[in-house]
Amino acid sequence: MRRGLKGSTVLLGAFGAIALLSLAVIAGQAPAPRAAAASQVKRQANGKPDFSGIWQANNTANWDLVTHEALPARVMQPGVHALAPVPAAPVLALGAVGGVPPGMGVVEGDVIPYTPAALQKKKDNYEHWLDRDPEIKCYQPGVPRAMYMPYPFQILQGTNKIMMVFEYANAQRTIHLDQVEPYPNDSWMGHSVGHWEGDTLVVDVTSQIDKTWFDRAGDFHSDALHVVERYTPMTPDAIRYEATITDPAVFMRPWKIAMPLYRRLEPNVQLMDYRCIEMVEELLYGNLRKQPLVRKWEGQTMTVSVERRIPPPDILYER
Amino acid sequence: MRIKRQSLAFLGALTAAVTIAVALESVTVADQASGQGAARPRTAAQAPASRPTAPTPAARGTGKIPRTPWGAPDLQGIWNTNTLVPLERPREFGTRAFMTQEEHAKALADLQQRNERPGRDSRTVAGQPAVGTEKDVARAYNEFWFGDKPTKLSMRTSMITDPADGRVPPYTPEATRRMADKREFLAALLQGTSGGKPGPISPRRADRSPDYNLDRINRSDNPEDRGGPERCFGSDVPVTMGTGTFGGVMQLVQAPDSVSIYYDVGQGSGFAWVIPITNRPHLPKNIQLYRGDAIGRWEGDTLVVDVTNFSDETNFRGSRENLHLIQRFKRVDADTLSVEFTAEDPTTWTRPWTAIQELEKADEKTTLVLEGGCHEGNYGLLGMMLNTRAAEQAFKEGKGPDPATQDNATGGGAEN
Amino acid sequence: MRIRFTRVSGAAAGAVVIAVFALAVIQTAGQATRTPRTADGKPNLNGIWQVTTTANWDLLAHSVRPAVAQPGVYDNHPVLAAPVVALGAAGLVPPGPGVVEGNEIPYKPEAAARKRDNAEHWLDRDPEVRCYMPGIPRAMYMPYPFQITQGTNKIQMVFAYANASRTIYLGAAPAPPADMWMGHSVGRWEGNTLVVDVSDFNDRTWLSRSGDFHSDALHLVERFTPITPDALRYEVTVEDPNVFTRPWKMNMVLYRQLEDNAALIDYRCVELVEETFLGHLRKNQLVKHWEGDTIVLDVTRRTPNGDKRYER
Repeated sequence: MRRGLKGSTVLLGAFGAIALLSLAVIAGQAPAPRAAAASQVKRQANGKPDFSGIWQANNTANWDLVTHEALPARVMQPGVHALAPVPAAPVLALGAVGGVPPGMGVVEGDVIPYTPAALQKKKDNYEHWLDRDPEIKCYQPGVPRAMYMPYPFQILQGTNKIMMVFEYANAQRTIHLDQVEPYPNDSWMGHSVGHWEGDTLVVDVTSQIDKTWFDRAGDFHSDALHVVERYTPMTPDAIRYEATITDPAVFMRPWKIAMPLYRRLEPNVQLMDYRCIEMVEELLYGNLRKQPLVRKWEGQTMTVSVERRIPPPDILYER
Repeated sequence: MRIKRQSLAFLGALTAAVTIAVALESVTVADQASGQGAARPRTAAQAPASRPTAPTPAARGTGKIPRTPWGAPDLQGIWNTNTLVPLERPREFGTRAFMTQEEHAKALADLQQRNERPGRDSRTVAGQPAVGTEKDVARAYNEFWFGDKPTKLSMRTSMITDPADGRVPPYTPEATRRMADKREFLAALLQGTSGGKPGPISPRRADRSPDYNLDRINRSDNPEDRGGPERCFGSDVPVTMGTGTFGGVMQLVQAPDSVSIYYDVGQGSGFAWVIPITNRPHLPKNIQLYRGDAIGRWEGDTLVVDVTNFSDETNFRGSRENLHLIQRFKRVDADTLSVEFTAEDPTTWTRPWTAIQELEKADEKTTLVLEGGCHEGNYGLLGMMLNTRAAEQAFKEGKGPDPATQDNATGGGAEN
Repeated sequence: MRIRFTRVSGAAAGAVVIAVFALAVIQTAGQATRTPRTADGKPNLNGIWQVTTTANWDLLAHSVRPAVAQPGVYDNHPVLAAPVVALGAAGLVPPGPGVVEGNEIPYKPEAAARKRDNAEHWLDRDPEVRCYMPGIPRAMYMPYPFQITQGTNKIQMVFAYANASRTIYLGAAPAPPADMWMGHSVGRWEGNTLVVDVSDFNDRTWLSRSGDFHSDALHLVERFTPITPDALRYEVTVEDPNVFTRPWKMNMVLYRQLEDNAALIDYRCVELVEETFLGHLRKNQLVKHWEGDTIVLDVTRRTPNGDKRYER
């Protein structure tokens, strides 16, 4: 036999490939993540995609991970009609500026698979958003929420570390591409270890404390949270970001979110200081001032009066 | 020059393989275009049982329909209609979808006669001069505001083509009860006023409306008491265009992946409606939108638009959040766009029903589609609220009548 | 001639592999693929777009600050005021590097004073609070998406916010009979750039939540230029001789949404804002009182006197 494959085998293989592919094409619904043409993506010297730059999500995931209609506000009270609530006092003066815009969800299957007990807690969180959402207090957002806050973040991609710095609250996270000791404690932004699978950066995130939320809709987790992220170039200026979330204390099964992250292309874009710690002092400690500071505001058709109070100890010392 | 046999063979095989690949891709794209995996209507709302056998009306132009540069039928333009067709068929036509020439001539004569009546300019109520009565003022617009009256009449006996009698099917018992409850409530609020039954003010006056109110009711305790049009939502899905000055006009802009429609429904109200041409599924059921969620796909030369996810604030002839609409846009000829719709809602009608409207292409230079600044200029709602509060205050101080004894709802009506 | 079967079939296999790869690339493109050009050779603007800049809060470079502020302990460190104090970080204006060339809006002196006054009273005056049409250019940089449908003689843009929309007429367009909130737009292509002339505005819209305003003499020239297949540079030259001492320019980037399931959902805020701007006229006040863990809010409504009562 001469060198090379037998002709009949090759032809069989070729037709088989066509057949299989056409079957996949006809049967397939949602296409696989769009892989950017390999040559156009920026790359490091080692050939891996280079994600360095300033990025931002452009969706409403931080309001609510699942598909949601517009609402008059996130804090509402009953209106005249049972199905039409109105904004409550904390946001009343803002009108449409305080509204919750509608948005398509980012959760695969559009349902977060809470256990029945956890679903009750989520609903309770939702009702007490202002008192409980850590974002309100300018706390670090955790992973994955940091990735889709509506503010830019910067990726600095080294050879054995990737650092992400978030404008919001100056939060940051380091993704270790090299071997490191396990993190000794739990933290707000967790411990991230990454590796490459082809052009996809896969990041394993563990050791997050249970104090962060996923969004402003009360979606929460325990300290058993385990997140596996995948960053895949979609175009030279867009990353497909996916995160699989596992937390057996809260969810009945793992679930997944996916969204594009867009490179900021304005020539003058930069991360600025979102120094909200100082800005939220009035909220967090204003009730403990010797003299109350924020008491009243008068608009054309409403006056908003503020009284502060010191809550019972179990809430007072709760951060 | 000698071309290697292997190269030739390679090129030949490559050509063949690429041809196969491209053919496969066009098959898949065509599948997508024809709706494989697309959102399907929840029931098999197929073509209506009885199709008219008469010639297609308004076939002014002949020949091929205009097409866009990418080969789709061109639905674009500014569309309205000056031709009257009743939605429901007068009973005397039975199951006939088209009039005879004699019937049409008679109907036209009747129309002309009606156009000559004083209508809202009439200033009598039950034969007595209306001057100085509440009804005289409440009648609001006089005929001047209605502009030129339509003088064209279609050969169609009705827009409704299915069921066979050309009329909206009966309401379900549930819907009948719903509407009776609401009518009772409206009547209660008019009790003791010039627009309702005599008697004391009803104890139901402070009740919440039995439905999400979109009607004009005789109360202004809250903005929610005022009807949908008055709050600048509109109250009807703009499925059919009216005729004449108050009839409205529609602009359609078309791209390969979307159709963008702007409806000017008159009186400063307008709505923009984007129909993506896609095979993505509808929004989750719990998402309720005022004008629903529209998804379009091409079936041959017809754009089929499936609309679901309506809300309880929608009201299409009694149908609310369970409304399911299927619209079919077809460019008939250079001057005509036909819009057929099937409406179904098993909680409202006993069966689906289908209607068709032929819209006429308007001259883009003289028919402008302008923005609807209803909400921005809504002094009416502000006024109703402000003045009712002021009237209540005046009554409290003994300086005026009890506003609850006044009819601020029926608008006086028109005798003719 | 004897064709060596093995080499030919090897070549055929290679060709098939290439074709299969090509097909895979075409197929995995999915809904995010759009041809970069339309059938008539123009840049393809179809899709759902949105900015990420903070221009709607403030066109100029700005630090983080409370959305509604009152004096704090120090003169130049204001704190969250009552309308937003319970919102904490959600009641802040995020920082931004600004979108105005030269970082200055050249107001005439009396106009500058009015802008400052607007900014202090923005909740009572900003038409956005009442869900009014945002006008141009503001509609383009609201923090909500909009959809472009690029027709053959018109380009239609529909905005999620308030269901606002604009028609860009390509070529001859009839002059509107009256001033409009969204102006009148006439566009043409200059190479790869869509140039749009916008005029016939009324004076009711603002340019941002920071009180930037204009008169009915406002005139804009917009330039939309693709910088990548999924991003547009959006530049606007603003002139209004009643308000500004000279024309000025802003520019920013519009990003196309790349989700497979991208869809425009209506932000129908007309109903949602009734409580805010009409609630004072209810027979019985509805929103009165709210309690959080450390904050108790009381709202009293009142009807202003005189002409302010009838203001929309």
